[in-house]
Amino acid sequence: MTTTISPGTPRRARRSRSSGSVRSSRSSRGARRTAVAWLFLAPFAVVFLLYTAIPTVAALGFSLTDLRGADLRHPFAVDFTGLENYLRLFQDQSFLRDILNTGLFVGVGVPLTMGLGFALAVALNSGIRRLRGVFRTVFFAPVVTNVVAVALIWQYAFNADGTVNKVLGAVGLAGPNWLDDQNLAMPVVILLGVWRNFGTAMVLFLAGLQSIPEDVYEAAALDGAGRWRQLRHITLPLLLPTTLMVSVLLTVFYLQVFDEPYLLTNGGPLGSTESMALYTYRQFGSGEFGVSSAASFVMLLLVALVSVVQFRLLRSRS
Amino acid sequence: MPNPSRRGALRLTAGLALGGAFALTGCGRSDDTAAATATAAPVDASPATGTVTLWAAQGDADVLDKVIKPFKTANPDVTVKVTLIPNGEYYTKLQSAIAAGKGPDLAQFFPESQSQFLDPSILRPVPDGLVDKAGFFESLWAAGVVGDVAYTVPWYAYTYALVYRADLARKAGVKAPSKWDETVPFLKALQGAGAGRGLGADIGWDIFNGQDVAMYAWQAGGSLLSSGGKWTLDTPAMVDALQYNASFFTSGTADTSGPTFLDAQPYFVSGKTAMMITGPWVIGQLDAAAKKDGWTAANVATAPLPAGASGSKSFSAGGSWGVLAGAGNADSAWKLVRYLTEPSAQVAQYKAYSSLPAVISAWDDPAIANQPLLDAFLTQLKNTRAFPQVNTWQQVATRLGKEMEAVAKGTETAAKAAANVQSYADSLGTGAK
Repeated sequence: MTTTISPGTPRRARRSRSSGSVRSSRSSRGARRTAVAWLFLAPFAVVFLLYTAIPTVAALGFSLTDLRGADLRHPFAVDFTGLENYLRLFQDQSFLRDILNTGLFVGVGVPLTMGLGFALAVALNSGIRRLRGVFRTVFFAPVVTNVVAVALIWQYAFNADGTVNKVLGAVGLAGPNWLDDQNLAMPVVILLGVWRNFGTAMVLFLAGLQSIPEDVYEAAALDGAGRWRQLRHITLPLLLPTTLMVSVLLTVFYLQVFDEPYLLTNGGPLGSTESMALYTYRQFGSGEFGVSSAASFVMLLLVALVSVVQFRLLRSRS
Repeated sequence: MPNPSRRGALRLTAGLALGGAFALTGCGRSDDTAAATATAAPVDASPATGTVTLWAAQGDADVLDKVIKPFKTANPDVTVKVTLIPNGEYYTKLQSAIAAGKGPDLAQFFPESQSQFLDPSILRPVPDGLVDKAGFFESLWAAGVVGDVAYTVPWYAYTYALVYRADLARKAGVKAPSKWDETVPFLKALQGAGAGRGLGADIGWDIFNGQDVAMYAWQAGGSLLSSGGKWTLDTPAMVDALQYNASFFTSGTADTSGPTFLDAQPYFVSGKTAMMITGPWVIGQLDAAAKKDGWTAANVATAPLPAGASGSKSFSAGGSWGVLAGAGNADSAWKLVRYLTEPSAQVAQYKAYSSLPAVISAWDDPAIANQPLLDAFLTQLKNTRAFPQVNTWQQVATRLGKEMEAVAKGTETAAKAAANVQSYADSLGTGAK
């Protein structure tokens, strides 16, 4: 085969050869980078695979069987029961009650925590700047305090003859038995959740507020916008990404709430503060691995669903 | 390859997941088969040798090193490696280790909750002639027996009895109740003598309360399982038991608000409550709560539980020992168990940790016999029953505890609560496959 070489060809050919070598050197560099990236990702990937992915798939498998604690010695005697555990869950009045209780935790806990966190963040960002560090530390302290110790103190504070009732008694009021009253126990447990979490919301909101440039407020002030209009038209819209993140974080937390009801009331009185996570834990503790896995999957689906809806709603607004 | 059906895909997922999980834990049928066919060789009188690995829960076993010193002296070629595990996570860890085939030679169990382990794939049968089974409290021995095969040997014992303020009873001029219908009047009399509440009731509404109501059901003439192995929890006896427990609260002699677990003894010492239905360990702790030596001897008395229609019955509880099916040194492990049940070792354990002997003859030792407050517990221990030896008993007891709360607080009738427990227990079965 003969090739006619035009005057321009050698140049093109050279360019072509040179382009090929660049591409190959680029692709080998790319492969190296990919390999390095995987190398750095490997520890996480291994840990994720071992401690998250495999157990999640295993739990899904367990939720479709009648696996119980006693079966660990006869693993092959476990029967595949399909969706029976899920049906059993939704026929169990206590699980349905726990879904409602968890809804209450989310419905009341999230807005309260966000509202308190936001109000304090605004206060720290404007009026009391000089003491910002001190207050930030004070308000963040509940987040890092051991929850077991806190719950014990709260238990003593809200007992029938606890500190709260002693204070009420000092002003002539007869305090109720907070933790043994079906209507009052839940507010106290939610209050503990809010107290433990508003510091996180506050710090995140504070970071969001500090990222809004001062000159935007100055320009608005020059145009005659008062503090309320600045809050409504500048602060809130620009804080939307932070709000989204905080609301998703808190919703996921309250959907999985466990420590507060477990430590403060153990789910009582009469199951009025029992959450879905507590139900899951109890099933697991009593050896009902199949039912417990099914309950944890229902929780997982709920968390995923609520997160997706929140992201969509808030994103479309932003 | 054809597309798998949805059911097939689910089976595959479950199979993979289960297979994966069990492969991770090293569990398998072959181990089970090997263990199930293991037989316990007779244990001779020659010295123990080699290394015995022993797991126990923190608490009564904390003093084991001291208690087994004479055994080590008499058996110089044996090494006992004791591993103590926090009480709350003991069974979880033991269960995981057994599933992974990495359990110890010898492990401690609790007679009131050990039923899930009584299987030849987990424990070796107790060799004939190792100990004299008639020497133990009957129900404690029975708690380790399934299908006429004994898997555990009792170690220490306890049961519940009445512990009450003798000073207030003297002031009120009343004697400890011996029957159910004398209980509330007695508690009211204690209140009349100055106590805040007659009874410091356990208000955890958990498995321990479930055990209490089981005990009351026995006293009322009921049983928890039929002879055919079916749950019998909605019987008139169970309804009576739930009502008896609720009567403490509805009569105002107990409070659904407390005391909570940590407050029980301070409340008793301060007179906020005047009676407890509790175990013998309390006797040794009240002086500390009162911050005064001799307070207990001067102010406290004990009595067996009041009798229902079927007498005064309680449950047997405590500690026991089992040699694992996969034990590498079963022979020496059994020799250690035999030593721990000798009266001298039982008394040594009592002196070191106040664990009461499971061997009846050890109660004659002056260290125990000279303590009048323990007499009621000895009487009661001779009249105890074992909880059902079925896998799901703990779940059923927990549910019983929850239903008790509803009856005590008046949100449910005793009959409805008993029916709820029966239906729940029926849905669980007994765990047998």
